[in-house]
Amino acid sequence: MQRVVFSTWQGELIDNRNKPKDEWKESSYKLPLTYEDDLPSRAFIGWDGVAIFDEDIDVVRLACEYALQYQKYSEACGRCTPGRWGGKVLYDLLEKISRGEGLAEDIEQIKKMSQTMIRTSKCEIGKTVPKPILDLIEYYKDQFDRCILEQSKSKEYGKDSRYISKVTAPCIDMCPSKVDIPAYIEALKDMDFEASLSATRVTMPLAHTCGRVCPSPCEDGCRRANLDEPISIMELKRLGADYESDHNLSWIHPYKPEFPRNDGKKVAIIGAGPAGLSAAYYLGLKGIAVDIFEELPVLGGEVAVGVPQFRMPIEKYNKDIELVTSLPTVTVYTNHRVDANRLKEIHKEYDATLLGFGARLSKKVRAKNERTDMEGYWGAIEMLDKVNLWHKYRIGSPVSNELKDKTVVCVGGGFTSLDVVRCAIREGAKKVIMLYRRDEKTIIRNTTYEEYHEAVEEGVEFIFHSAVEEIIDEDNKLKKLIVNRFELVPDPDGGKPQLKKIEGANFEIECDYLIPAVSQALDTQILPEEWEIEMTSWNSIKTNGRDFMTSKEGLFAAGDCEYGPMTIVNAVYQAKRAASVISRYIYTGKLTLNDDEIMEDHLSRLKVYNKDEKIVGWMAGLPRMVSQKLETNERKTNNLEVNLGFSGEEAIAEAQRCMRCYYIAMVAV
Amino acid sequence: MKTVKVTIDGKEIQTSLDRTILQVARENNIYIPTMCYLTKVEPIGACRLCVVEVEGLDGMVLSCQEKVVDGAVIQTNSKALQEERQNIMKLYALNHPLECGVCVKSGECDLQNKTSEFEVNEQSFSLRDIKRKVENWGVISYDSSLCILCEKCVKVCNEIVGKGQLKVEPGGYKAIIVNTKLEDSCIDCGECMAVCPVGALAVNDFKYTTNPWELKKVPSTCTFCSSGCELSYEVKQIGIENSKEKIYRVTNNYEYSSLCGAGRFGFDYENLVTKKDEDEFLNAIEAFKKAEVIKFSSLITNEEALLLKKIAKRVDAKLVCSDAFGFSKFLRAFKKARGKSLWSSTQKKLSQSDAIVVFGSRIKDDAPVVKNHIAMATKRKKAKVVYMHPIEDFAISNLVTKFIKYEPGSEEAMALMLLQVFANKEEMTQDLQDFVDDIDIGFLSGESSISEEEIDELKEEFWKKKRFTLVVGADVFNHPEVENIAKILAAIERYTDFELLVIPPNGNSLGVSLICDLVEKHEGFSVGYNAPADYVLSALGDGDLGMPALNQQEGTFVTLDKRVVPLNAGLEYKGFILNDIANSLGVGSTHTIDFTKELPVDKGFRSIEFDSLEVKFSVDGDDLRGYELETILCDSQIELSEPDELPSYDGTVIYIVNPASNPNPFTNRAKLTSSEAKLIGTKQFASAAKISDGDVVEFEVCGNYISRVFKIDDTLKGTFALNPTFDMGLKAFDLPIYRFSKVKIKKRG
Ligand SMILES: Cc1cc2nc3c(=O)[nH]c(=O)nc-3n(C[C@H](O)[C@H](O)[C@H](O)COP(=O)(O)OP(=O)(O)OC[C@H]3O[C@@H](n4cnc5c(N)ncnc54)[C@H](O)[C@@H]3O)c2cc1C
Ligand code: SF4
Ligand code: SF4
Ligand code: SF4
Ligand code: SF4
Ligand code: SF4
Ligand code: FES
Repeated sequence: MQRVVFSTWQGELIDNRNKPKDEWKESSYKLPLTYEDDLPSRAFIGWDGVAIFDEDIDVVRLACEYALQYQKYSEACGRCTPGRWGGKVLYDLLEKISRGEGLAEDIEQIKKMSQTMIRTSKCEIGKTVPKPILDLIEYYKDQFDRCILEQSKSKEYGKDSRYISKVTAPCIDMCPSKVDIPAYIEALKDMDFEASLSATRVTMPLAHTCGRVCPSPCEDGCRRANLDEPISIMELKRLGADYESDHNLSWIHPYKPEFPRNDGKKVAIIGAGPAGLSAAYYLGLKGIAVDIFEELPVLGGEVAVGVPQFRMPIEKYNKDIELVTSLPTVTVYTNHRVDANRLKEIHKEYDATLLGFGARLSKKVRAKNERTDMEGYWGAIEMLDKVNLWHKYRIGSPVSNELKDKTVVCVGGGFTSLDVVRCAIREGAKKVIMLYRRDEKTIIRNTTYEEYHEAVEEGVEFIFHSAVEEIIDEDNKLKKLIVNRFELVPDPDGGKPQLKKIEGANFEIECDYLIPAVSQALDTQILPEEWEIEMTSWNSIKTNGRDFMTSKEGLFAAGDCEYGPMTIVNAVYQAKRAASVISRYIYTGKLTLNDDEIMEDHLSRLKVYNKDEKIVGWMAGLPRMVSQKLETNERKTNNLEVNLGFSGEEAIAEAQRCMRCYYIAMVAV
Repeated sequence: MKTVKVTIDGKEIQTSLDRTILQVARENNIYIPTMCYLTKVEPIGACRLCVVEVEGLDGMVLSCQEKVVDGAVIQTNSKALQEERQNIMKLYALNHPLECGVCVKSGECDLQNKTSEFEVNEQSFSLRDIKRKVENWGVISYDSSLCILCEKCVKVCNEIVGKGQLKVEPGGYKAIIVNTKLEDSCIDCGECMAVCPVGALAVNDFKYTTNPWELKKVPSTCTFCSSGCELSYEVKQIGIENSKEKIYRVTNNYEYSSLCGAGRFGFDYENLVTKKDEDEFLNAIEAFKKAEVIKFSSLITNEEALLLKKIAKRVDAKLVCSDAFGFSKFLRAFKKARGKSLWSSTQKKLSQSDAIVVFGSRIKDDAPVVKNHIAMATKRKKAKVVYMHPIEDFAISNLVTKFIKYEPGSEEAMALMLLQVFANKEEMTQDLQDFVDDIDIGFLSGESSISEEEIDELKEEFWKKKRFTLVVGADVFNHPEVENIAKILAAIERYTDFELLVIPPNGNSLGVSLICDLVEKHEGFSVGYNAPADYVLSALGDGDLGMPALNQQEGTFVTLDKRVVPLNAGLEYKGFILNDIANSLGVGSTHTIDFTKELPVDKGFRSIEFDSLEVKFSVDGDDLRGYELETILCDSQIELSEPDELPSYDGTVIYIVNPASNPNPFTNRAKLTSSEAKLIGTKQFASAAKISDGDVVEFEVCGNYISRVFKIDDTLKGTFALNPTFDMGLKAFDLPIYRFSKVKIKKRG
């Protein structure tokens, strides 16, 4: 609950003006009352209303500034007539009023123009900009009237006030990396694939990758779902990227990489996974020298050695990787394991160090007689490393040597376990079983509907509500498993149903391999003990989640080692933010965020997506496009990419469903 | 696609789920105003004029982009809509000078029309003026103060031309269009200008020379290549005293079709003959009478071809057409093997393909609008495009997904390899199967210097693709083994998923090859009709007797889409024409176009009067001009052979090719398209020939001594140079040689 003077945010109408403080109504939204540290904000104005925190603020100026910011931001839009000219007219008229030269009919003109913008603008930004302005004109009529009747300047006219604005969209806000989704979709609509890719790469270098295997949290924030189904945001990303690689174009960057600075400053990055690569990319674009140290002989982290070829072809991922390593200030050292001592050296030698070493230790299933040295017991990460190193790089030997005609049991329920079983099928296992404690619905929620079904189609046998109790071996060779069965018992008090073991329902599975894929942990050996790095309760490296510095000065962390096993897009986001902070830190020694980042955090807290909002101006009922996949028999004995992606037309049709839900918000401080 | 029922303005309509409201409305003759809609590209959605209302739905819906959904009840006109549309038009008027008096577009300007349609006369809001400058883009100039940012130009340059030169430079009300990469890659095709609804894009040359409404439109066909694009000559009398007419410009049905720069800007190549030269005419008759050979180029109409055939029969002469002879051999061999007289694909089908191979052509120069259709496929169908040629073409690398370089001369080997890789062998006769199985890929790939992996990768490139087109260009027609190549290609069309699109070598080579029985050469006294000979009739005006150029003639052409399309005379021709000679020899008629209905039916022509040939397009932009040539069926006999030895081309090799902007001696006469002919080669070529950039060099091509300035082009690779022929006059049409040739380069001076 927040104390505001006035608010029309999301339809609430709070007007505490001229009321005693103890009768003040509070806002139910997380509005940015404080801008940053102890700088208070005076007002917040955006697509869904306006909130005033400082009673004395000049709202005529506020409205005028908001119109101006929209004008400035027309880069994001400015592509339709009402938006392009309407915004300009709004600003000119508001400016005129604020200057003390306004006329009564100017208010009428503003209202008329607003109506045209609301009804006919191309994107939401043009449709929503007039709303808070009209709110102010309605509820703060006195201030406008005074300027017009007395022909006087509004009180802050010409004064130095600071207004900070940001453009966002519901999907952008929900994407951890804040990818400018409407921009890359719009470029697809225009069939300008290069522009699409460069829009993506502003915040997401790994476009080939996140256009294929991202679990797409953005789609949970897609406004189109309020109308029918969300846009297939994730797969549309792939088109720009594939256009680049299919046509062998030279690298498409979001902007021209800066010249190498050669100023002696340098940053070390530990780990060449999505986090390390992304940080290197954004530092490299700025011309800052970066050295990446990677333990494996290959680059790419878990996406290279974890995610299998049939989901993420290495030729495509390599394009994203080369994009990074092609930058002149980025140097990589492979086969270079960093241990605690080496980390101390590096930390001393470099101006900043970013940890991006992931979470690559397979956790145990916690069964009786669980020993990692038992023959037939094989951690998921180790198994997938071997599969991938062979298929993608011809390093090592084929896993079919081990798994052909064998019975394989995997314990899991997330992405990793699905990859394990689908790889086991492709390596020729006779029988592949997945044991999962919970039910089908949950596994689908943890992964994706497609992936789960693809695994079923390929012949994986799923046993739900089950867990391994004991592992039986013979001469240290795994022989069989004793498995408990569970059932879901509803809580009599109406709470969450509980999983309860069914007594006497245990059963045995004879098998050759048990592959635990329950979760992964950090290999904390790299952290020098004497640094006493602060850790989270789930044993990942702790930061404040905003500037990503650890408890050790100059040591930053991003990706799975910071968050615990998560997603590519999360790693990219954290690394990009860390890179931005580092790019200033190495010169100033201070941890700072820029306005864009501060606003980004404010808007995330406030939440941009409103699932109850009614959509206006679009017809419901256009089906979401579904891309073509290989048939089961075309895919289950090989490593060909299963998802063929959208055809050109499907992509355009899907892009045309996107409603361009740009919004602009502004804080006055 | 699912069918849906919608109601627009009370009219119930059945249509399919993928159509937009605007498309459905237009199909049903319901008017919705638009400013930024262009049929041939995907909806732009910039002007917002096309908003409509849907029952039960708040707000207004954009009809050009929104697709119909089942049961929608749509209203295209209401007070509220009218008001918003009017408001939008007022916004357009905001910063637009509306000084139509001095604007080139006045009289045919969409903004002018719409402001009066919506009765916007006063400027109700006012905006401060921003100073902007007029930019020069080559042939075209851009005046941003007139630009309404409808983005049509941006769309066509990207989606149709495949260049993507133009971008909106954002900046809200200050937004403008910028021509990026101007220097190196704008091809001056003028597509952007053609679609511009206002006066923002205009040809520098046309400005202030005339008012559009004074021009007379003469619908015709571009003759410069076998695409045979639709165009109109726009003509006016030069002055009150001067009754002579002049072509001021070329326009086209830009809503549906396209032109390249040559077609659009190379229009003033007419042969200015002021009177009938009776004496020379008699000489010409005499020459024909004693002729043993009649030589001609295939840049003539079908009717002229028929006349020549009749004349040749009358005077007992042989017909020689150097630029079509190889192609006619190709056509005969293809027909016999294929069992069909013509190939199956068209440009439209090409644009809908997702797997394309371009073979034996420098496509963007040989057939610019065919290249446009490849661009459309690239953009819209995500097409994989394999470009097989000895010389890579950097200018279209954004369209090509795979370049396969082969040695000049190895087209036969390449065709065989394509057949082997893609053949559905089960459908073949046993003999053919055995032949294909026995193809010695190792040998062929070695000789053509491509690797076997590259061939295998071809199959991968097209993995899971659905519509295959093989585009075959002019390199093969003068190949010594053209007949075997034709048969292999016939087998490819028959036994693989590919459909063929063959690009005849010159404007009407297809018509000529169907109508005339050609021989390769013949000794004796020769008369040339637009070809070098002992007695020459020339439309270039450099012969013994002048002849009308193709912008001065009526008649028909056959396009590579296998359509018979009409040409009309943009300008009058005052001298004698071929029909006059034919009449003197007793085989003519009142008008040349009397022969249109007499074109050979057994070759697929139809007995149709010239005057009933229409110029029209379907709502979806299908070319419905004239009529489609009938494909004649016959027995198919495929007997292929494999080469024992492939020719080798080492040392300095030139390739005969004219730039898209200036494809032949006629365009080289036109003001905007003429240019200096240069030999453009690689550094390697320069060092092999011991010459350097800027040198004047001499060499011999097919008996012609040529002298040119040499230029190095860093984007080319190999020991090659590109040699144009547009400056050779009629000799340009008399080069019956394979396009690659080894030459000795001498430095002059
Ligand atoms: C099987 C599997 C499937 C997955 N599927 C998906 C998916 O579909 N979509 C999705 O978004 N996410 C998926 N994930 C999660 C995703 O891969 C990770 O979240 C992501 O890779 C984290 O990136 P990172 O850079 O933080 O760490 P990592 O990718 O783990 O990279 C860390 C890098 O650091 C190196 N390293 C570690 N220790 C050292 C050291 N001491 N010295 C030097 N180098 C070191 C490692 O070798 C590695 O290259 C999957 C994970 C797995 C295991
Ligand atoms: S419709 Fe488009 S812009 Fe709107 S939330 Fe969805 S993806 Fe984003
Ligand atoms: S572009 Fe159209 S409206 Fe503008 S001045 Fe020219 S003719 Fe008039
Ligand atoms: S002339 Fe052609 S290539 Fe040049 S900008 Fe216009 S459309 Fe593009
Ligand atoms: S130049 Fe012409 S076609 Fe291009 S955006 Fe401006 S008005 Fe439209
Ligand atoms: S030269 Fe060819 S492509 Fe160009 S306009 Fe003429 S027919 Fe069309
Ligand atoms: S025609 Fe629909 S927005 Fe212009």
